[in-house]
Amino acid sequence: MNETGNLKIKFTLNGKPIEYMVKPNWTLLDLLRKELSVLSPKEGCSRGDCGACTVLLNGKPVNSCLVLAPQIDGKEIVTVEGLIEDKEFKALKETFIEKGAVQCGFCTPGIIVSAVALLREKGNPTVQDIEEALEGNLCRCTGYIRIIEAVKQAAEKLQKTS
Amino acid sequence: MGYLEELLVKEGLSLVGKRVSRPDALDKVLGRPLFTADKLTRGMLWAKIVRSKYPHAIIKRIDKGKALGVPGVLTVLTAEDIPGENQIGYAIPDQPLLAMDKVRFVGEPVAVVVAENEEAAEKGAELVEIEYESLPAVFDPLEALKPVAPRIHESGNIATTTIIRKGDVEKGFREADVIVENTYKTQRQEHAYLETETVIAVPEINKVTILACMQSPWLIRRMVAKVLGYKQSKVRVIELPAGGAFGGKDDMIPMIAPIAALAAVKTGKPVFLMFKRDETFEASNKRHPSIIRYKSGATKDGKLVAVEIEIIYETGAYANRGPFVLWRATAHAAGPYEVPNVKVDGKLVYTNRVFSGSFRGFGDPQIHFAAESQMDELAAKLGMDPVEFRLKNILKPGLTTTCGQVVDQSVGVEEALRKLAEKINWEKRKREIEEYNRESKRKLKGIGVACAYHGISTSRGAPDWSAAAVIINEDGTITYKGGICRLGQGSLIGHAKIVAEILGVPLSYIQIEGPDTDAIPEARPTHGSRGLMTGGTAAADAASKLRRNIVRVASEMLECKTEDIEIKDALIYVKPDPSRNIPFSEAAKELYVRGYETAAYGFYRAPKRFFDPKTGLGVAYGVYVYIVNIAEVEVDTWTGQVKVERVHTAADVGKAIDPDLIEQQFHGAIAQGLGLTLTEDIVFSDGKILNNNYTDYVIPTVKDRVEVPTVVLVEQPYKGAAFGAKGVAEAALIPTPPAITNAIRHATGIRFKELPVTPEKVYFALKKRRGEKS
Repeated sequence: MNETGNLKIKFTLNGKPIEYMVKPNWTLLDLLRKELSVLSPKEGCSRGDCGACTVLLNGKPVNSCLVLAPQIDGKEIVTVEGLIEDKEFKALKETFIEKGAVQCGFCTPGIIVSAVALLREKGNPTVQDIEEALEGNLCRCTGYIRIIEAVKQAAEKLQKTS
Repeated sequence: MGYLEELLVKEGLSLVGKRVSRPDALDKVLGRPLFTADKLTRGMLWAKIVRSKYPHAIIKRIDKGKALGVPGVLTVLTAEDIPGENQIGYAIPDQPLLAMDKVRFVGEPVAVVVAENEEAAEKGAELVEIEYESLPAVFDPLEALKPVAPRIHESGNIATTTIIRKGDVEKGFREADVIVENTYKTQRQEHAYLETETVIAVPEINKVTILACMQSPWLIRRMVAKVLGYKQSKVRVIELPAGGAFGGKDDMIPMIAPIAALAAVKTGKPVFLMFKRDETFEASNKRHPSIIRYKSGATKDGKLVAVEIEIIYETGAYANRGPFVLWRATAHAAGPYEVPNVKVDGKLVYTNRVFSGSFRGFGDPQIHFAAESQMDELAAKLGMDPVEFRLKNILKPGLTTTCGQVVDQSVGVEEALRKLAEKINWEKRKREIEEYNRESKRKLKGIGVACAYHGISTSRGAPDWSAAAVIINEDGTITYKGGICRLGQGSLIGHAKIVAEILGVPLSYIQIEGPDTDAIPEARPTHGSRGLMTGGTAAADAASKLRRNIVRVASEMLECKTEDIEIKDALIYVKPDPSRNIPFSEAAKELYVRGYETAAYGFYRAPKRFFDPKTGLGVAYGVYVYIVNIAEVEVDTWTGQVKVERVHTAADVGKAIDPDLIEQQFHGAIAQGLGLTLTEDIVFSDGKILNNNYTDYVIPTVKDRVEVPTVVLVEQPYKGAAFGAKGVAEAALIPTPPAITNAIRHATGIRFKELPVTPEKVYFALKKRRGEKS
């Protein structure tokens, strides 16, 4: 910490090591969007209700609006920008498009991040597993029907290729 | 033959009617910076609105001093800083941009702090000192109607009234063998789009540009021009994709873009304004709460003879769209049935709560909840099946609506109801459920039907039009400039399919661009389910004009008659001899070389209609979309929990430009209708909203999702639109609440007349019926 109370933190973002001076009250979402121009996490509620800002912290999905920037010191952060070559992400990308699971798209990156974490943990998730994984991600457009189908189909695709 | 007639009979369609994967999906999956908040850049100033903490008060004094002392705060703007008119009322000039002498609801904008960063703006906003003199407030529309109630506006507490007088209801009720009379109440619903209201205003030389999520670019232009005292040509509005809108951004962005524009013009810097989630809950428009007294009569053979309806819609502090919402409810009050005698009286009432406004369905969900509950109660009294009773009265071509309009085409509600009932085997399903309930101790199942209709676009003979532009580029690609906004519904994808179909190119040839007021003439708003129908018809007009040019140039190049030219998959060929052909791109280049027009504007104009405001009779809407929902529920009689197991749906869509996009709209609309029916309700204490977040205001999560296993699309084309297509975005929400409550009635025998039907209400109603004290 320096005299202004700011802290230097080190973390990896989408595989790249980063050192950054942060204010202690910045959230991870502020750091990503406003400082680092990583824009796939969206700000929907700023209190952990909607899941639009979901990112992976050490592989686990978290609401980045509920994590303070200093807390990520020494940790690994992954957003959609860092998942482009990931096999779970690729499968989800295809099925979300094929199944028409995207309408306005504001909640989509957060939902896909949650779904990536699920598919890494469970190759063959049940509908209940999917519901539990996505319970923290709100969507006001789709009624979730196509989203469930897309995640299920992505899992099946991955099972076939593995 | 005009181009619309040609399209109606066009054969061998390659895109229209087919499912395509959405061209906008990839960017959204990748989280690319599409949205307004993604366009925030360093150097933009932050604007923060200072809001009233009182429901009703006189503003005595505003002291900007402490706020201006905050490092980073550049200015604090109030009503007196507005160079033009401080007026943003939509239907009635009753609403200031920034409150001047008095405030009328908690959350009303009073001042705006403009600062170099968000923290300073927020700190500054806390330090603007406003001295108020509190006035007595009124929070209940029935209280507001009493002569002793505090006056919210000088004109009184009734913003507007509506009437319909069709036939003679007294005579009608004399002919009735059964009469049902009930009062229904619905609540305030929040749009709860994931993206809050966000606007960027950029000052230019003698001009200002607005970038935002929106539904009404040209209304925004009018409002910004009015507030700044500018000519419309000095305001440019550029639409960005919205993270959900549902009517909310139709009303809200025209109310906040002028604030951002004012801040930008005053500081000479670009300004960023974004609502926090609690601001959206507290200060944005809501679905109108309603109180509807509904009396209906039918003969013993099941013919409706009269309805008498009193509608009260609570508009909150300002009229906003309320007069139009109330009118729509009035015009649809009898439901999609022919009723010979109709009397409707509507009142739009002010209270000291956040103003109501546009929300998917626009007044129709409330009135259909009442109308369709009544239909089931009448059927029960007559000992008739609800589907059979509806079919005896359903609108058909040649019959008249609530306001005496003869519906002559695209009236597929009977077909929709018959097909859906048949497809899900209504009779058998009903019997199975009744048998199940006889055996079941704890859980009861039920099935319920509801029909609805919804006039497309604007009403009462008001002029209506739309516009679009198509450019054929020199390499054969097409730029489509739409006038309809991108809310996630995909209207512009429908337009692009229409353009591609007409020009004979694949969808991938079309670059879709959202509205820009400097690029095309006014296309009017994206509301009233008009986006596909009106905008798509304008797109078809433009594309048809350019097709004629392409055909002409190709006939010159291929040395054949224009009638012999065919275009398919971007290949232009001579019909009798397809080996004589050229690629679309070559013809495109030749358009430029030979001096043909390579761009065209397209327009849609609604046919002229007649309407008599004195009787409420006339042609209310050019055409209606019709929809039928059948809901299946399971009620846990121990907990009062209602589980909606599935909703089946059928609609007359005119023509499905894309059946998959239609289905997507049905899914979302049903989910929003589910929330309206079971959980969503804004709760106040002394005019302040208590549940201003997603924890306390409960919208459906993935676990609450309702399956929609049956979707039936009826296609009775509307001759006034490209390919006969009508809009569907709002439709499936409208009959969802009554389909569910009719199913609950079937399960339990209890009629719920107030929304939302929470587990508590069900639990206590069941207890009361068992004769237990609560």
